[in-house]
Amino acid sequence: MVDFFALALSHGLLALAALRLLGRDDLDREGPGPPPRLARGRGFGALRGRETKVNDRDEHDRTLGA
Amino acid sequence: MTNLALSAFLILLLAAGFRRPFLWVLAYLYVDILQPQVISWGLLSRLPVSLICFVAAFLGWVLADDKRDSRGSFRQVLMALLLMYCGATTLAAQFPAEAAEKWAWVWKALVFAIFLPFTLRTRLRIEAVILVMALTAGAIVIGGAIKTLAGGGGYGSLRLFVDNNTGLYEGSILSCVAISLIPLIVWLARHGTIFPPDWRVSTFAAALIFACALIPVGTQARTGLVCLAVLCVLYLRTARRRVLIVALMAAAALIALPFLPASYTQRMSTIENAQSDQSASTRLAVWKWTLDYVRAHPFGGGFIVYKANELKFETVTADTAGSTTVIRAQEVQDSGRAFHSSYFEMLGEQGWPGLGLWLAIQLSGLVQMEILRRRWGQRDRVTAGGVESEGVDSEGGKSERHEGKHDNDGWQAPLAAALQLSQVVYLVGSLFVGIAFQPFILMLVGVQCGLWTYLKRSRPNAASRISQRRSPRAGSAAASRSAGGPPTRSGAFTPH
Repeated sequence: MVDFFALALSHGLLALAALRLLGRDDLDREGPGPPPRLARGRGFGALRGRETKVNDRDEHDRTLGA
Repeated sequence: MTNLALSAFLILLLAAGFRRPFLWVLAYLYVDILQPQVISWGLLSRLPVSLICFVAAFLGWVLADDKRDSRGSFRQVLMALLLMYCGATTLAAQFPAEAAEKWAWVWKALVFAIFLPFTLRTRLRIEAVILVMALTAGAIVIGGAIKTLAGGGGYGSLRLFVDNNTGLYEGSILSCVAISLIPLIVWLARHGTIFPPDWRVSTFAAALIFACALIPVGTQARTGLVCLAVLCVLYLRTARRRVLIVALMAAAALIALPFLPASYTQRMSTIENAQSDQSASTRLAVWKWTLDYVRAHPFGGGFIVYKANELKFETVTADTAGSTTVIRAQEVQDSGRAFHSSYFEMLGEQGWPGLGLWLAIQLSGLVQMEILRRRWGQRDRVTAGGVESEGVDSEGGKSERHEGKHDNDGWQAPLAAALQLSQVVYLVGSLFVGIAFQPFILMLVGVQCGLWTYLKRSRPNAASRISQRRSPRAGSAAASRSAGGPPTRSGAFTPH
């Protein structure tokens, strides 16, 4: 019973922490955004093709007011 | 039920890693600390979960992580050298089979400690690692503390999820690790952004700290009591309200004393009278043997070399009845006793070079954390004394911390201090327990390396330092930017 409580409490909090981390952009990247050629998607989204990079470049240019 | 729940938790955590590969690093930490495969008896116990998590964490970093800000550090090089040196001593070990058994987990712990700092590129990642370490070890601590309160404690008899005595499930190791966890819990409660500070976080943190402090009572490990005393003294060094804390500590000790079991006070009293205690006498005899051994084998005898020892020592007991004291000396013979000290463990197993490398890794950590504590502590004071910084509003930036957009809450110096305190506690505990390669502590070293390289990238550029000297007001603003601003590749800072 005690073991079950300790495991349930800690795992509940760990699960909640993981859930919150999934929604946090600053887990993988800090600041307003990376330079365009090095822009990354989330997780394995980073491995996607050129389309992502072009979009990110446009967004970065807009941020800079170009 | 527990079996299914643990399996489901790990599967979900691994699945979440496909969206955020860093979660695989956290999954490895979780598996390595709690060892769910040992607790459960179904699916997890049949799979090499530790290996799966490590491969996932490594591939996730290689394939999907941004490596622009990943930097190596001097201490990682030292750990790599220690790893290679241990590999070499294992090949020439005096007890090859036993040495290979220990090497099987030591190399993994060292490789992960070398790898971990490369992944710690953001403040949130550093926090997440510490949180997972605290909560995962917390599972063992909470269970142990409740059983202690219910009267289930005792030296070697406190049952913690499993019956075996490996990893954190060994009493002395757990009591040392539990106490070294306390500064990190305090930091998380004050500066956490995953669980931002509020009354629920404070309550849980206070309960967890209490549970950690109960572990030395429950396991009746004297090491834990010494660690706790050292932590209390050291905590006063950085604390603001010293008198209040001393009063609270004294009150807590006075209240706790009558509730401690007689077996506990009896065992703790042997700290003063080591000569009468066989456990302490054995330690002294093993240490003497180790010194003699390395005189003949300066490069150590490889892992588990203590099996070669044959000890002969005396224990002295003094029985006082009225005004008469009878002193009895008893000769004890023993063999194959473990080192019971990380320092002698390193010396005996890895010789002088191994001990030197290990000490360099540990002491450089203390120095680095001290540098960070002073550097960032000074910066926080400048920020607090100057203009109101960007990112910190009049309510201490609470609302922004919730969103995690700004991290200018002066978290750096307290974290460095917490990591330093944890390490000091570990080094004190290491005097009496052989935990030189304890994976939990190596993770802590990994976090220190990660924090060091992360904050090194955050150092203000020369311009901000010059402007700080020229104009205190402008300097404060520059300092405030650098205190919380995210590091960029060039080392300059982007405004919020």
